Amino acid sequence: MFQFFFNYPLAVYRKGTLVLASGWPVWVLGLLALVAAAVVTWLMLGKNFPRPRMLALGALQWAALALLLVLLWQPALSVSALKPQQNVVAVVVDTSASMALENRIGEAKGLLDGGLLSRLQAKFPVRLYQGGRALARAGQVPAKADQPVTQLRDILTAATAESATLPIGAIVLLSDGADNAGGLDSDIMDSLRRTLIPIHTIGFGTETIRNDVEITDALLPSRSLPDARLAATVTLRQSGFAGQLATITLKDGNTTLASRAVKLPGDGQTLREVVEFQAGPAGAKPLRVAVEPLEGETNPANNALTRLVHVEDRKPRILYIEGEPRWELKFIRRAAELDKNLELASILRTTENKFYRQGIGDPKELEHGFPDSIDELFRYEGIIIGNVEAGYFDARQQALIKEFVDRRGGGVLFLGGRAALSEGGWNSTGLAEMLPLVLPDRKLTFHREPATVELTAGGRDSLLARIESDPQKNAARWLSLPYLADYQEAGAPKPGASVLAELKTGAGKRSPFLVTHNYGRGRVAVLASGGTWRWQMAQDHRDMSHEVFWQQLLRWLAGETGGRVSAVSSKTVFEDDPRIPLRAEVRDRNYLPASDAVVTAHVMGPEGVADEVTLRPVDNAPGSYAAEWKADKPGSYLVETTARQGGAELGRNVLTFRREDGVAENFRTEQNRELLERIAQQTGGRYWKPSQAAALAAEIEYSDAGISVKETHAIWNAPAAFLLLAALKAAEWLLRRKWGAV
Amino acid sequence: MRKLLAGLLLVSALAGTVWAFQRGVRSIFRDDDYDPAPPPGHAEHTEFYFARLRYQMVGFGGGSVWRMRGGWTTDYPKADRTLLKGIRRLTRIQANPMERVVDLISDDIYNYPFVYVVEAGHWELPDAQAKKLREFTDRGGFLMTDDFHGTFEWEVFTTSLNKGFGDRTINDIDDADPIFHVLYDLTSRFQVPGLVNFPFDKTYEYDGFEPKWRAVRDDRGRIVVGICHNMDLGDAYEWADHPRYPEKYASQAYRTAINYIIYAMTH
Repeated sequence: MFQFFFNYPLAVYRKGTLVLASGWPVWVLGLLALVAAAVVTWLMLGKNFPRPRMLALGALQWAALALLLVLLWQPALSVSALKPQQNVVAVVVDTSASMALENRIGEAKGLLDGGLLSRLQAKFPVRLYQGGRALARAGQVPAKADQPVTQLRDILTAATAESATLPIGAIVLLSDGADNAGGLDSDIMDSLRRTLIPIHTIGFGTETIRNDVEITDALLPSRSLPDARLAATVTLRQSGFAGQLATITLKDGNTTLASRAVKLPGDGQTLREVVEFQAGPAGAKPLRVAVEPLEGETNPANNALTRLVHVEDRKPRILYIEGEPRWELKFIRRAAELDKNLELASILRTTENKFYRQGIGDPKELEHGFPDSIDELFRYEGIIIGNVEAGYFDARQQALIKEFVDRRGGGVLFLGGRAALSEGGWNSTGLAEMLPLVLPDRKLTFHREPATVELTAGGRDSLLARIESDPQKNAARWLSLPYLADYQEAGAPKPGASVLAELKTGAGKRSPFLVTHNYGRGRVAVLASGGTWRWQMAQDHRDMSHEVFWQQLLRWLAGETGGRVSAVSSKTVFEDDPRIPLRAEVRDRNYLPASDAVVTAHVMGPEGVADEVTLRPVDNAPGSYAAEWKADKPGSYLVETTARQGGAELGRNVLTFRREDGVAENFRTEQNRELLERIAQQTGGRYWKPSQAAALAAEIEYSDAGISVKETHAIWNAPAAFLLLAALKAAEWLLRRKWGAV
Repeated sequence: MRKLLAGLLLVSALAGTVWAFQRGVRSIFRDDDYDPAPPPGHAEHTEFYFARLRYQMVGFGGGSVWRMRGGWTTDYPKADRTLLKGIRRLTRIQANPMERVVDLISDDIYNYPFVYVVEAGHWELPDAQAKKLREFTDRGGFLMTDDFHGTFEWEVFTTSLNKGFGDRTINDIDDADPIFHVLYDLTSRFQVPGLVNFPFDKTYEYDGFEPKWRAVRDDRGRIVVGICHNMDLGDAYEWADHPRYPEKYASQAYRTAINYIIYAMTH
């Protein structure tokens, strides 16, 4: 129908550019159009019509004249057309496992065998390919979809690369778009676009999931200390089960670590749920996060994900200095002693010139009091500064404390006290800038008066302040804690600081109680009291609130403090992609970036896989080393990275990751139309529904790729133009009749 | 009637002997234990309070003989306040200059993690109070006992203690234990006598010839009840600045008390 009225198929209009074939100057056309407008106006002014009617009739007359003038200039379409039988069309059928769902592969085969392929072959030589992980020639249209991976990036890159030896005129991709190897980034899109080969995509599969619950993501910390309380942030979506209850479980092998019943959201909506669990003993743990399948689910294979958590076998060591005997020291020590994965060394000033050490590893440790050298101080991962005035530390020690956070990446906790914070003059030191609060510029901030504590919104979400697993019970638990023995006004939180809990005094005043923030590579916190010991003494001895709170605070303080070597990768689970980026940050003995280190990674994997990889320095990133390694076999891997400098070992760090094949293919199984449309649009092709694909052969004919010629198609003689001219005149005549102006 | 007269004579003779002795001692140690005026600074809120345990005394044949010997108020409050002066002068502990009195009836004891009990060989703890004392130490509290002597008082002491600590053993404290080193090194210790021993040619009372430093420990080996048996540290606190009370006894008593308090605040 379109071609009847407009002489040519729609593709010509879509691809072509408008030209005027008469060769006469365009400005003459414009001038004549103006003259026509003037003549029509002059003629109309002589008539005794109401102005609106005069304007309508004049416009119609001028439009007819203008159209006539345009037609005289012979408009035409200039378009590149592929030379028949000289250009190859590559037809790529996605044969990944997701194409087996809903018989998508059968539908694609039916479409090609049902006429599309022969229509294409009538005009072009056709090369048939199939693709999952990689592109491969196919003798006939594939009928099975069993490839474990969809890597559209590699498939399309390989298909366009064929143009080096073949005149590829177009690529036709039949796929559900369910790419699970990282998608197509802008670099890949640019390289596809530069080939000038239009990629036409035909989408298969429903565009929304039906009767399915899917875990779309599970975020877990990649490292942890033994027995730490951890959180898994599980995101799921569903269709067809709105309002129903489902159970999220987290398992280590056959052991259930956590379980949580959730009410499913509306269709198509996502639900984000935080599930807490205990890390357990040291080791690399593949943890399975799952939603129990519901009755009638179409795809239970997308109900579970595996994530790897490396529970490190180490005991962070914390240094606690206390300026005078206080109950707080005793009860913090007791809480720490119950955590077998923490070590707390403390110095207590008992008299003016004596101090008492506890938790020391050998008689030499801290024998001269608070350390004044990097070697001595940086052996700890966290520092607690209790009721000690700033003046007790000399300038070098203060500088070391700052560098401990900024350079070492350690954590420092300041407690309240009669000689702490502003009372101890900390607001006037260089260390004030690393505190998460602007300390009051005055004295008399410490009060031995009762104060209760209440979680803030941030505190309710924070694991640091989690005494009970359930967030609501936890908030209530905090409200029921006994009052503190004392409190301190700690000032105003700095921008970016997190106030996790607030004090409420007897007079109803509120002020920050527990405030944290990141400073440099490390962390700093202020706990504005020295009286949390009452949480222990004023509650039944079986109550663990005090112990749990302090153990978590101490783990936060020291748990994330790295060593001289810190090994990382981009992910903990690599799905269907064997390329593993390895990276290490290396610091020298003074914790400055080490640019001259020798960094090697010893890889151990499944089925006896063992390899040694040398990491090379990264340009413009002092202390950074990187390499890429291929993990072909699925399973869990352990990488021990060692750095040496001048023959001496600087340190080592263990990294774990997991390789999986074919698992991701079960996720996001609905048609990814957005991706298919984007590929087509970016490359000059078009997205097609299978029902519309009959017109594909005609559309492909017009392309800049391959061997093409420039054609000019006249459109001035299209029936539509004459019909339009007749319609303009007919409309004028009808209006004149109606208004009696004939 | 004859028996009654004989009994009265015996009691009179005993009472006369004790009175005569007391008169002789009191003529030298003139100050009274009891001073109702609170010391300056007592209203200040501080980190540490010296808490003295008020307890029910054990009955014995009507109770009169044992009640004479003393009770929870022994040396109160002068010993406490004199000791607190020493603590404030010799350490960095922010201590209140006035003692506090606690019992095992109310929950106020939980606000004072260090509690001192004197004449513990005369206490009689009802079951509920003994269990409360156990709960106090289970939460982290520390009890220091003093001024009870000999086998009989030991029996009285442990009878009540065992109601709450029956699952625990009482052991001598080793010289190397941190409680003897936390501030002062107290490896060489000796018996500290009370005023009753004046002029101190002997230092024991009853059959308490050997001073004993014993302890009840918790599951993690920390001392939660520090038992000073066969010694009278309270008199040494109280009369530390008296010229007739030997300095060496007072010094050891102060060192012991300070070590016990710092141990209680650190373990």
